[in-house]
Amino acid sequence: MSVLLQQLANGVIQGALIALIALGYTMVYGIIQLINFAHGEVFMVASYGGLATFTLLPDDLKKSPAVALPLMFVGGILVAVVVAVIMERFAYRPLRNAPRLAPLITALGVSVFLQEAVRVFYPNAKSNLPYPKVFPEGNLTIGSVNISWTGVLLVVLSVGLAVILQTYINRSRMGRAMRATAQDPDTAKLMGVNPDRVIVLTFIIGAVLAGVAGIMFGGYLNNINIDMGFQNGIFAFTAAVLGGVGSIRGAVIGAFIIGLIKTVAGQYMPGGTQYDYVWIFVVLILVLVFRPQGLFGEPERVRA
Amino acid sequence: MSTVDTSAKRSALAPLGKPFAAAGGVLGIVAALLPWVTFGLNDGNWPDKSTLQFFDAPFLVTGFRWHVLLLGVLILVAAFAPVPSKGRVVRALGWGLTLVSFVNAAYITVKGGGLGAITALDGATAFGGVVGLVAGVLAILAGYGIGIEPVGEWKFKLSTPLAYLVLLLSFGAVLYAVAAMLTTGGVGSANPYAGAIFLSFLGFAAGVLGALSGVGYIRWLSALSEQHRVFSVVVLAACALLLPFTEAGNEYWMTVAANIGIYAATAIGLNIVVGLAGLLDLGYVAFMGIGALVAANFSGAATAYFGFDLPFPVAAVIAAVVAGIFGAIVGSPTLRVRGDYLAIVTLAFGEIFTRSAQNDIGGFTNGSNAIPGIPALSLFGAEFNKSFTIGAVKLPAGVLYYILIVLLVAATMAVFANLKFSRIGRAWIAIREDEDAARAMGIRTGKMKILAFLIGAMLAGLAGAVFAHKNGTVSYESFKFLESVTLLAAVILGGMGSIPGAVLGAALLFVLPEKLRDFEDYRLMIFGLALILIMRFRPVGLIPDAHRRAEMVERADENAEEAHVEAKKA
Amino acid sequence: MRKHSVKSAAIVGASLLVLAACGSNKTEGGGTTGGSCDTSKGTLTVGVVAPLSGNLSALGVGIKQSAELAVDEANKKCTVPGFKLTVSAQDDEANPAKGAQAATKLSTDPNVVGVVGTLNSSVAQTVQPILRDKKIPQVSPANTNPSLTRGNDFLTAPKRQFDNYFRVCTTDDLQGPYAANYLVEKAGKKKIAIITDGKTYGEGLAAELQKQVAKKGGTIVGSEKVGEKDTDFSGVIAKIKALGPEAVYYGGEYPVAGPLSKQMKDAGLDVPLMGGDGIFDGKYIELGGKEGDLATSVGAPTESLATAKAFVDAYKAKFGKEDYAAYGAFSYDAANAIIGALGKTLEGGAAWDDSKRDAMLTNVGAYSGSGATGEVKFDQYGDSTNKVLTVYQVTSAKWKDVQTGTFTG
Repeated sequence: MSVLLQQLANGVIQGALIALIALGYTMVYGIIQLINFAHGEVFMVASYGGLATFTLLPDDLKKSPAVALPLMFVGGILVAVVVAVIMERFAYRPLRNAPRLAPLITALGVSVFLQEAVRVFYPNAKSNLPYPKVFPEGNLTIGSVNISWTGVLLVVLSVGLAVILQTYINRSRMGRAMRATAQDPDTAKLMGVNPDRVIVLTFIIGAVLAGVAGIMFGGYLNNINIDMGFQNGIFAFTAAVLGGVGSIRGAVIGAFIIGLIKTVAGQYMPGGTQYDYVWIFVVLILVLVFRPQGLFGEPERVRA
Repeated sequence: MSTVDTSAKRSALAPLGKPFAAAGGVLGIVAALLPWVTFGLNDGNWPDKSTLQFFDAPFLVTGFRWHVLLLGVLILVAAFAPVPSKGRVVRALGWGLTLVSFVNAAYITVKGGGLGAITALDGATAFGGVVGLVAGVLAILAGYGIGIEPVGEWKFKLSTPLAYLVLLLSFGAVLYAVAAMLTTGGVGSANPYAGAIFLSFLGFAAGVLGALSGVGYIRWLSALSEQHRVFSVVVLAACALLLPFTEAGNEYWMTVAANIGIYAATAIGLNIVVGLAGLLDLGYVAFMGIGALVAANFSGAATAYFGFDLPFPVAAVIAAVVAGIFGAIVGSPTLRVRGDYLAIVTLAFGEIFTRSAQNDIGGFTNGSNAIPGIPALSLFGAEFNKSFTIGAVKLPAGVLYYILIVLLVAATMAVFANLKFSRIGRAWIAIREDEDAARAMGIRTGKMKILAFLIGAMLAGLAGAVFAHKNGTVSYESFKFLESVTLLAAVILGGMGSIPGAVLGAALLFVLPEKLRDFEDYRLMIFGLALILIMRFRPVGLIPDAHRRAEMVERADENAEEAHVEAKKA
Repeated sequence: MRKHSVKSAAIVGASLLVLAACGSNKTEGGGTTGGSCDTSKGTLTVGVVAPLSGNLSALGVGIKQSAELAVDEANKKCTVPGFKLTVSAQDDEANPAKGAQAATKLSTDPNVVGVVGTLNSSVAQTVQPILRDKKIPQVSPANTNPSLTRGNDFLTAPKRQFDNYFRVCTTDDLQGPYAANYLVEKAGKKKIAIITDGKTYGEGLAAELQKQVAKKGGTIVGSEKVGEKDTDFSGVIAKIKALGPEAVYYGGEYPVAGPLSKQMKDAGLDVPLMGGDGIFDGKYIELGGKEGDLATSVGAPTESLATAKAFVDAYKAKFGKEDYAAYGAFSYDAANAIIGALGKTLEGGAAWDDSKRDAMLTNVGAYSGSGATGEVKFDQYGDSTNKVLTVYQVTSAKWKDVQTGTFTG
């Protein structure tokens, strides 16, 4: 029983991380129907951005987490946003009216490019890099279940940001413009919405969330590598599809389900941890086949 | 609308067109005769006697300086002779000149340690590179000044024997160019400047090809070969089979060419799924892996699952069938899943395959230890991996594999061509263009989509069977996600739905990394960048398929940007 | 005109790439000069086949640069009279098919005298026959799969597979059982859990350890796998924690092992993690390897070997901050075995041609020297005779040797 509880806790933390990335996927897809494959790499780049910020800090600041940590968040998020905006402007925007395969293939190219650019140009990025210890140490112990404080922070941040995002989209003027663009870009344009601005803002919001995820990932696991974006990106995308692409609530719930499948299937399914991802993909395929709109999505519209 | 666009450009540069072209041509010739580097470099002299003043001995010009000279002369000819679409031709030649000059000057600068190496140092002068660059840029500008008109069209018809002769000569020239390209910079590891020599050659070839295409020759030739299709195919196959007899006929290039062939056959299979039926598959290499595993298990290798050895043709057929069955299974979600979602399903399948193979699922894959020691193929006692003698000619090892694979690719191309122009092929294209309309027209879309997956997977499985014997070992490591992306890139680079395109794409994606091993650290980064740039500037690929063109861009001859502008206006 | 600004930006970008690529090559140019040896007979090449691009490149580049160091030193010391030596490093992309191409490229060059490589056992499988056909010795710094030298029945009926294939590293069937003996007998850990990364090296090591643990009366309480690209191991850890192991054996390399060890401790599973030479690296501790963790490695402890220290110093002097990674020292020894054998083959100023290849193979087989990993010598199968293994433990954030010996069963 205690094993199950521990695995559930682990799954929730993994899910929280995936949720932060999945939100970026789901928003971009909701508005321009693009699977932004490179979004996972934005998350990775943010992590390296945070690390670079820390490395550049003067030595006495490095010792005080209260100063270093916020600066790392700022640095990482800044890098993520810049990368995302450049990516949108130069890779995706010119293809907005191209056939659907074109931007998807571009996204693959961006993903490979970003990963390799970090590997080649970031010092020593060829293998894993240790992340500075600026996060709260120690565990929260409830009964037999151990959760690190960083993990707790990750869950709180993830859920909190999702709620803020949901409110922003439902209540603010810009959020309304986003929903309008997602529904019908042409009509939205007639109503005075600038679709380019809305799309850029969507990418920026996604990048900010991925940036938070990138720094938290480094803090929680204490090391980063260039592959982390691809792997977690796939999980996040799966989560977004599972929840119903375009739905904020769906992405978060989907992410928690993915996290739980990974840990619980690794524990109890035949083949154990050897096949833990296989179960994630099996669930994905089943959802797509039997409920293509996902758990919380609307049925897919046929695009004109 | 394109005429408006280009005439605006013309107005600024128009009066300067011919003078610039003349200056570019003359400067190009001068550059070829000037020295290019002031001193011998650390790793040995820069090739083609580049410290020499060739004004003293103009007939000794070789290598890249010969290319520069030739480009200069061609620019002059194009500027003053009555050439169709003059602007395009001059511009292309100018690009070639710029690239050759840039590659040589940049390499010398960096390897020789500074600008002194290509300007003046210690009393020696070497302005060849600088002059060449200026000449190239002038010629490009001249091209715009003269005006970029539509590609020239050649109306005249040829009698059949004459047409045959033209085709024979043209394909022979292609064979010569391919062999020359493969052998530039040397085969061994001795030449420290091999990468630069190759890039420089590539620049020259691009310039000349661009000029030929601008003048309308390429389009005319492809129309001609379309007219005499059977003859063209025979000549092309003969040319491919003649490659071992050229300079490039050594063991190394035979090995590379055989691998290209295997991936090209797989890429053609993928082209059925992506190019014809429009179903994006991101886990395609798994089918090749399944084919390879089946062949390996029937090969009599020590760790094979079945303890007996089937003859290769039988094993290959089984491999194709098993891969086809998996193809149909993976394709079955297409009944309900569309577009991007399907891409994710196939990606998931690819990941499931690698994970399962790594874990030795069912005892078929031998897990992480792979299945080594798969015997080489042999026919009438001739082992395919040994060198081979016909009469007095000793052919390099691996040549039999090469021949087998050329035949395999030819067969795959034939299958593809027949399918494409058949009822099934038309149904696939209809589904690609508009699935709902296709269904309304009475096409059983579900069945057709699964059929596309099945046939594509069978071709990949067949290629995989050859792969197993050619490489002698089958490991899950050969069939990862990146390989699927590479295959997809081959299809896109060549042109989706285009038969020669897939072969060309696979060839480029294999030959370029082999020739540019100097840049291996940047290989994947350049690969990613190339994917982005192709989608941005030439989404139809290098050899676009006629139908596909209509879908990817509105006007066949305009580039993507103009189409984009048009689409925005619409 | 927007189109042109984008196009020209692309060109500028591409040219910067070219320049950047050249820039990194620049440092290689000057390195080989400065010797005053007679190099009148030309240049001979030591080939390297390793993954130089992609995500295993850290290990591959370490192999390449260590071989370059060995060649540089040989050039300075005039080890091969009359010849200058160079390294030709070919990328295998960790892909067997690409490895075959790289090997063919080297094998068609008459000046290639031997090849250092490969990193992956699966790539070695395609490279071995190609080099054998040309009688080119291949010395691997990193293949630990016993079947590469002794065939599938390596324990019961060993049979030499390729007479040109040698390795300087140890094999799984020595290192795994030696670790098992230490864990069960010396450290008294009877309940052991195994985690592997699913790749050849880790799987092989863990399989051999598992057999020996059972022999010595210990129990394997569980056996789990982590994904190659995984970073969060909480699921695996929670699973084995419930089984109550006294120690965890990890089959794999330090980039995963370090974080795994830290996450184990964080999750309250504070038992030692043990691994093979793949985790014996300073980076392991940097990435989270905790106090008390164990690793086996080939040869006597590094500090007691002057040659090892000399290698580390020379490498740092030549390549600065870049790491030689897990297999650098082995690669250095492998290159030196080839160079030493070449020096012997061409003793007395003989010229190099294809007729020397048989002698070259024999000389590599008979080579004996003391390298950065200890004694370098090959047995009748091509395996290293250096069966000395050392167990190291993390003590005050440093690897410290705790036991040195040979595996005797």
